[in-house]
Parts: sequence; C-alpha cells; structure tokens
Amino acid sequence: MTTATKTLAAGWDGPGVGRKKQRVAFRWRNVVWALIYPRREQHMVPTVSGVLLIGLSLGIGMAAYNSSNNILFITLALMLACLILSGVLAWFNFSKVRWQIGRPSLARVGQSTSVTLELVNGKTFLPTYGLDCVMRARPGVKDEVMRAETTLTGKGMDVKAIWKEKPEEEVAHLRLSSRLDPQDSSILDWEWVPKKRGLWKLGLRHVASFFPFGFFNKRLRAVLEREVIVWPEAREYQWAATTGAKWLSGASNISRTGQGSDLLALRRYEPGDSHRLIHWKASARTRQLLVRQFSAEATESFSLWVQSKEAGWTNAEQYEVLVSFAATLAEDLFRAGRLASVRIDDGVAKPIRHWRDLESWLDTLSVLEMEKSNADTIPRDALRTNRNLITFVPEGQAGVVAMIDGEKAATA
Amino acid sequence: MVKKRPQLDLDDLHRLKWLLGGLLILLSVSTVLYLEIDAWLLMGLTTLGVALVMVKPSLPSRIPKLFHTLAFPGIVAIFLGDLYLTAEVLPALVRLDILLLLYRGITYRQRRDDLQLIVLGLFLIVLAGVLTVSLLFAVQILAFSACALSFMLAVTLVQGAETEAAKGNETPAWVHRMRPGLWRRVRAATDARIALLGVGLFGGLVVISGLLFMAIPRVELQNSLFLERFMTKQARTGFSDRIKFGDVTNIQQDDSVAVSIDVTDPSRIPAQPYWRMVVLDEYRDETFRLSARLRRESFARERTAANLRGKARARLGRQDYWTFYMESGVSRYLPLAGHFEMLRFRDRQHFRVAESLGIVALRDDPVSMTAYRVEGMQVLAELADPGFRDLLKESRLNGEALSQMELRLSEGDRQIVEQAVREITHGSTLSPGNFAQRASEWLAQRHVYGLKSEIPQGAGDPLVRWMVSTEPGHCELFAGALVMLARAEGIPARVVTGFRGGSWNGFSDNYTLRNSDAHAWCELYDSKSGLWLRADPTPGSAVLNQETTLLSAVDTREVDRSWTARFDSLRIFWYRRIVNFDQRSQVETIKAVKEATQNTGKRLRAWLDDWGRRVKAWLAQPWDVERLIRSFAGILFVLAASWVGVILMRKIKRGAWRQRGGRLHPVRMEAGRWLRRFADHSIEGEIRNDLERLRYGDERSWAKAELVFRMARKTWRQARRSKSPSLR
Repeated sequence: MTTATKTLAAGWDGPGVGRKKQRVAFRWRNVVWALIYPRREQHMVPTVSGVLLIGLSLGIGMAAYNSSNNILFITLALMLACLILSGVLAWFNFSKVRWQIGRPSLARVGQSTSVTLELVNGKTFLPTYGLDCVMRARPGVKDEVMRAETTLTGKGMDVKAIWKEKPEEEVAHLRLSSRLDPQDSSILDWEWVPKKRGLWKLGLRHVASFFPFGFFNKRLRAVLEREVIVWPEAREYQWAATTGAKWLSGASNISRTGQGSDLLALRRYEPGDSHRLIHWKASARTRQLLVRQFSAEATESFSLWVQSKEAGWTNAEQYEVLVSFAATLAEDLFRAGRLASVRIDDGVAKPIRHWRDLESWLDTLSVLEMEKSNADTIPRDALRTNRNLITFVPEGQAGVVAMIDGEKAATA
Repeated sequence: MVKKRPQLDLDDLHRLKWLLGGLLILLSVSTVLYLEIDAWLLMGLTTLGVALVMVKPSLPSRIPKLFHTLAFPGIVAIFLGDLYLTAEVLPALVRLDILLLLYRGITYRQRRDDLQLIVLGLFLIVLAGVLTVSLLFAVQILAFSACALSFMLAVTLVQGAETEAAKGNETPAWVHRMRPGLWRRVRAATDARIALLGVGLFGGLVVISGLLFMAIPRVELQNSLFLERFMTKQARTGFSDRIKFGDVTNIQQDDSVAVSIDVTDPSRIPAQPYWRMVVLDEYRDETFRLSARLRRESFARERTAANLRGKARARLGRQDYWTFYMESGVSRYLPLAGHFEMLRFRDRQHFRVAESLGIVALRDDPVSMTAYRVEGMQVLAELADPGFRDLLKESRLNGEALSQMELRLSEGDRQIVEQAVREITHGSTLSPGNFAQRASEWLAQRHVYGLKSEIPQGAGDPLVRWMVSTEPGHCELFAGALVMLARAEGIPARVVTGFRGGSWNGFSDNYTLRNSDAHAWCELYDSKSGLWLRADPTPGSAVLNQETTLLSAVDTREVDRSWTARFDSLRIFWYRRIVNFDQRSQVETIKAVKEATQNTGKRLRAWLDDWGRRVKAWLAQPWDVERLIRSFAGILFVLAASWVGVILMRKIKRGAWRQRGGRLHPVRMEAGRWLRRFADHSIEGEIRNDLERLRYGDERSWAKAELVFRMARKTWRQARRSKSPSLR
C-alpha cells in the first residue's frame, strides 16, 4: 500500500495527498478551456482589491496604448506580474496541505457537538497562512451516490425548489488564523448544534484562501465527508400525579424474603442466624427465639413500544415530540436501570442491557420516519399480556402521552 | 524537541500593517522631490504627520470627531480653491492626492481605506513617472511595489486572523495593547530562508514584468501624451531666447546631466563638438536675445508631427543615427551639431523650425525627458546660409540695418569699439576668419578666462567697459565682445549658446553633455562663401575650429569611468531599453533573440559534431592493454565522481546538515572552530563545555547557540587581553 493510498484510507484529503495522476495527452484546446472555465476543484474569485487591480490594469493599459507611453506600459507589466506572483504564492500556500475531519462526538439535536478539522502542512520549509475552511452539514441519505447536477437545463421553478431546500444545509467558516508551520498540524474546532435528528453528512465544502495579497479568493473544492447520526432532542416531560408517581417514582416490594427494609415475617431461630436478626420482643412473648425475615426489595423494568405507524400521528411536529420523548424516556429509564426492552412497530422487542444497545436504538429512532398508515392502535391483548409496557399516544395537537399499561404516566 | 518559531499575534500584525501603510505614504509623497510641483509644504506636513503617527499610533485617537466630519468637504473645498487660484489641473490634482494621503495617514484605516491608500500612492508615482520619465521613477515604483505587496500581505493576514474589525474612526483595540519590541518579535518570527525566498520572488517579479514589458504588443497610434497639456514648466537652466551676462555661467555651476547621446558611429563625434541650441542676434540692455524680426522671418509655422525632414541631403551608404535624450528643464531648443536629414521624435510634438538658423524649437519647455533621433547629421564648424547674403545685399541697398549688424551703442562706446577694431586690424581689411582669430587674440591679451568676472563700474555699455578692461571674463563676455567687434568691422555676427564638449561614458558607451558643458560662442558670416563660421573667442578654445576631420577615437577622447558615469549608465539603460522602447525595438529584440537562439543552436551542433569527430578519432586509434586499462580507469573515475555527486546532491537536498548529529550543521562547525581555537590556547571553563555540547551533543540539549558564541568571543578577547593561558 502506498503512502498516498494509506493517507486516503485514513480519511485525508487535499493537495498534500498524492493521487495517481491520469495520463492525459497534452492539448492546447484543454489548456485554453481550463483558463476560461477552470476545473471544479479550483476556483478563483476576484475580491474587491482584485477587481480594483484588474480595473486599474485595464485603465493603465488603455492609457498606455493610447499614448504609447512606456512608463504606463511598465506599470501595466508590473501590475500583471503582481497578479502572476499572487497566483504563484497562492499555489505555494495550498501545496502539500492535507486535511481530515475528526469523528464527531455525540450529536444530539439542540446540543453542541464538537467537529474537528485537522490540517497538516506537508511542505519542507514553507508555512501556510490564512486558510478558510468552509464546513458543511447537510441531511443525507445513507450510502447515497452523488450525481452531477446542472442548472443549465433546469426549469426556473426546479432551480427555485432546489434553492428552497438549501437552508437545511448548515455552513460554518473555520479560519486558520495563525501560521501553520511546515511539517506541523493544526486542529480547527466547529461547535455544531444540529437542528434536526437523522443522518447528517458533515463535510468540507471547500478550502479557500485570500493569501497572499487578497486579490483573489482561491478555492479548492474538497471531497471529504463524514456521516453522523444525530439523536433526537432531549425533551422535558412531566409525570402524571398518580400513576406516574406510583410506577416510576420509586421501587416496589415483592413478597419474598430478601435484604429489604420491610418486615415480612418471623421464624424460628436456626443455628447460624445472625444475632442481630433476633426479634427480642416477640421471642419474649412466645418464649422461643424468633428471627426477623425481611421482604425482598426489587425494581421493576419497563418495556418501551413506539408505534410510529399509528393513525394518530398526523402532525409532523407531534411526531418529532414522540420520537424525542421516547428517546429521552428510554435514556432516563436506562440510567435508572429500569429499561428492559424496546420495540418499534411490529418489530421484535430488543432487550437493552448495555449502553451500546441503547445507542443502537437511539440511532434507529434518529432515522425513524413518520409513515401514514391506518393501522389500529396498540392491540388490547398486548396490554393484557405485557406488564409495565410503556406506549405513546397523541394528546391534542402537539402533545404526546406516555401510558404505562394503558394508564397515563407522563406527558411531553 | 524542535523549537517552534514564535508567531506574531494580531496586535503585532496590526502594528506592522500600520507601519507599512505609513511607509507607503512616505514613499508616495516623496515624488514631490522630483516632480517639481509646488507642494513642498504639503509634503513636509504629510511626512511629519505620518512619521509621528507611525511612531505613536495612539495619536489619531486624540483627533476630535468634528475633524473627521469636516475632513472631506474641507479637502474638496481646498482642491476647488487651488484649481481656481492656480488654474493648473495637474498640480492641483497632485496636491489633492497628497492631502488625501495625509488624511488617510493620520487616521485609523479600514480595509477599503487601505486600498484607497495604494491607489492614491500609485496615482502619484505613475503621474510623476509619466511627467518626468526619470530613472527615479524606476527606483520608486519598485520600492512602492515591494512595500505595497508587503502591506497587502499584512492586510490579508490581519483579515484572516481578525474576528471583528473596529468601525469607522473608532480607536482600534490594538492601539491600547501595544508592547515594545515589535522588531525583535518580527525578527524572531521570520525564517531567514523564507525572507530570502521573498527577496528572490520579488526579483522574479521584476524579471517577469521586464519580460511582459517587452512582450506586450505595441501599436503606434502616434498620440502625444495627454497629461502634458495640464502642466506648464519653465526651463530651469536658462537656455532661452534671452540671455543676460552670467546666465550661461550659472548653468555651468550645475554638474548634472543635460543631454545623453547615443551614436551608432562614435567616430563621427569631433574631438571638441559644439551643440547649437539658440541663436541670439540682438544686443541691447545688457541682454542678447533672438530678435523679433529674425524669429518672424526664420521660423516656419508651428507643426505637430513625429518626424521632421531636414535640410541635409540623403547620402548613400550606412546612415548614422544620433539619439538624443534631453533631460527636462534644459530648454525647449534642441541641441544639434548641424543640419540633418531627418529628425524623429518618440511621439508627436509641437515644434517650429528655423532652417536657416539650424534651430528646432519645441512649443513648450518639455516637462519630461525628450528623446529624438537625428539621422544624417552634418557635424561641421560652419553653417551654410546663402539666403543671408541676399538679405545682406538688400539691407545695404535699403540702408536698413540687420540685427546681425546692429550696434546699439552710445557715440562714446562706439568710438571705443572702433578704436579696438583699429588695434586689431591695423587698418587692413581682414576676412571674417582672420578677423575672428586676431580679435580673439586681442581679447585674450587683455582678459583671462574665469567663471567669476567683474564688470568695471562706470558709464556706458557694460560689455564695452569689460572689453577695454583687464578683468577676467566668462564665455558670454568673450563671445559678446567678439560679436561687437565684428559688427563694428562690418562683419555680420551673432552669439550662439549651447554645449561644448562632453564626455564619453565608458560604461554605457554614450556621449554625455552636462550642464557644466554649457557654453556661448559666436558665428561670423562670410559673405563670399555664404557660410556662418563658428568662432570661439574664449581662451582655451580653438578660435576657428574649422577642421572637419573627425576623431575616430573613443580612446583619444576623455572616457568617464567615475561613479557618476556608472550611475548615468543606469539612466541611459533606462532611456534606451525602457523609455525609448517601441514597436521597432520590439521587433529588433525578437530578431536578436531569434538570432541568438539560432546561433546557439548552430554552435551547439558544431560543438557536438566536433566532439563526435574527436571521439571517433580516439576510438579509431590502435588499442593496447595499457590504453584499455587507462580508459577503463577513466570510466570508473567518472562513474565514481558522478555517484559522489549524486550522494552529495541528495544530502544537500535532504538538508543533511540539519539532521541531528550532522557534522555539516553550521552551528556544529562554528563550535568546532571555537574549540580548535580554545585548544590551541588551552582555554578551559564552562564555555568549553557549552561549545562541546554544541559540537557533539544532542541538538535537544543545546543552549542558545548565539549566546554561547557571544560568550566564547568574549572569553577569547579576555584571554588575549590578559594573555593568560587559563581563565578559570
């Protein structure tokens, strides 16, 4: 495996990453065309000072031709040479620079997530200055294939529609404000706050630079992208005064002996019993040694069942509340050690034993889409057979209620 | 651990930008020094103000807001007032530009203001370049480009690092956080190799702009420069059509270059050339002047053209070209050695020609260097003017006095002059040439040449008073006296001013006339031949320099190899290759490049053929064992040398000396030198340990090398002073 392949495999991109060059026969036509319409990877946009310089060059050029004055000609030549030097230095600046997007930490709607971009300057002795890395987060479809899009043949309304879709895309500028020394690296941070759950694609749209003189904004299109699943928002909810408190606020006791605090029964003393368990009052009354037996104390686990296809979920906002409520409740129950299993629609109930089980379910919830269906509500027999089953039903236009065994327990 | 170079923080970048902006302004306003526009006060104010705020950037924060509010209306009002009072557009524009630069220099700038600064500065410099065509423009535009690019770089770096810029005229935060030692930090943050690369790139920029300058296609539109219309300028030197005694002598005090001449055939220049500029025929009120009548009769109507056909006839054979580069402020009269076949200007000019006088006069005093090429110039000591003979006859018949014959003297003065003529001629009739010779001798007996001359006090004409005195005199007095004597004798005579002599620049191979070569002499008319004869009565000159033999010798002429000549050669390079570069030069350059390429190719092919023949001949020689071994050894040697070369190149490429433990590391080598020196004198001590660590130790354990070497130097000096073998 060559170094370049290794680097690509490690998620690196940029001019510093060697790629196998395609051998293309030299044609003047290609060169001229590349000047008129540069490659998509490299774009140069003149800035205000660049436009000014070009305008001044044109003005001085016209005056020079009009008057045949060599002073003006040499000024024109100097200005054109400045443009060339600007291009050369900009090329030097980008040369052998590579970048990589770091794996983002936990992403959740409404919570800040740190996305890192690592820049490495692979040059021998030239530093790199003033890179402006434009990061992009866009909702993505898993394993989608990017297709070239053109607006040349598009109808106006189609293009408008595409533009309307654009706001979902979030863009951030990460600036390399300090000098990036040769053979050195720098990490730029983006505090991204996702606004919507689901699969997102975090990528580097392009890396731009005004270096060296600010005449042009040179952009290098980046192809680096990383998928990230954004979990539903952590939602606040209220327990119902009676049922909720009863079932969820504390533990319940069961009628078997154990190490609980409640007295269950008294029995005869047997050798080996702790003297501390002897019930002296009862022993004195009955004239035989009796020891205390305590009831076993146990917490009951719940099963979560999200019915996404239920006919009641017609409002998208309410549906989002459902998903975030279910996710929050699941996480809370898991933290309290009272989540046994989860289930979505007609799927199989998945036991939740570890964090990874919960995370997997949250991933599933993240991409859960509302499906219009006329299916019935939760079958009654399911409520009869399953104890401690939490289900969700809509309440009003935007509310969602969590039911435990058919009784209202919490509202979001 | 590799020590990282420190970085400049945002405040330092801001300050650097501020300083570079100030420097840019100072560079721009310095154009006033050679632009010769009355803006000295403004330049002084701007220089002072900008230099002050460069040193103390907090000063602009003390300017009241009202000043900013009134600044632009005030500047516009000043400009309009200036325009109204002076009625000169260009000088008013220059002053407006400097005012704007001053305002931008003493206030805090936004990005758009930074751009404005560059545009204003560029305008000023280009304007000065266009108007003066001075070599200083080349120096200044290069300095300006370097400074402007550094400034733009600083602006870009600040922009990249800045999150929020100060608004309007608010005092930026960096002003309050200034720390001393900026240059120390800049030096520490600068890598010497990158600085060197920067210098190299700037050199590349200059080379590329030179190539672009030569490659930009030219179209000859024959338009004159529009800017000249907006500016007037008076000749500085005094070569005008009215000269008082002492004017030419004043010019001689100035040693600057007046005219540079490129000659295709240097042997055509006489040993003592006279370059005629103005003919002055009328003498009155102590002033020689070009009479109104002569001006009216001799000068043709004004023309506007780039070419002028002269009186001389075209000759067969190779044509001589004389290219004159006359500096601005010399005169509007063009220096010429005689009649010519063709005169070509660099661009269209407004001029008048007096063919009989051999004079070409531009309409205005040129504001910039004037270049013109003269073809087929006749370098002669006399000037043919057969028409004057008829004029003379006619005037005698009419009883009318020509200005060339006129003596406007009192009766007393006239008698003195006639007495002097009698002393010169002894009553005999002399030809104009002989008269000039004898009169010059008569004058030389009485006067010596001197730049400082005094005219005796008394009544009558001052020239007559000087003539009969024994006071020393300068060329104008000698020439004036001879003209007066000749006219008294009845010989038409006139004073001519221009340049005499010059020097050959050994570096640029051109002829240079300095203002110190300014001279005045006479021309006497010989009615028989119909020629104006040049007569130079100033002592030290050949009176009648009639010989037409031309010295073929640059070697017999004075060759100037001084530093001034070296500098002048740069100016000539500037004029030849830049200012005077045109479509023809472009074609010539292309031809020269083509020829050079073809010749190089031919030479290379010939060289390869030659080597091929040699190798063939060598191979064809009989082979024996010894020759075989020698050849084999030779091949082995070449291979080994190549291998060593490749290894060395690789080491250099990889920066072998920078590798840890690399013996070629400059610090290690320097430490080794100090250790050897210390060992020779048995110097011991801690400094030796430090040096040994630098020489042999791990790079990570090094102390700061500079300090160690400084300490070593100090120890060495102390040891030498005390002559003590051991210090500690």
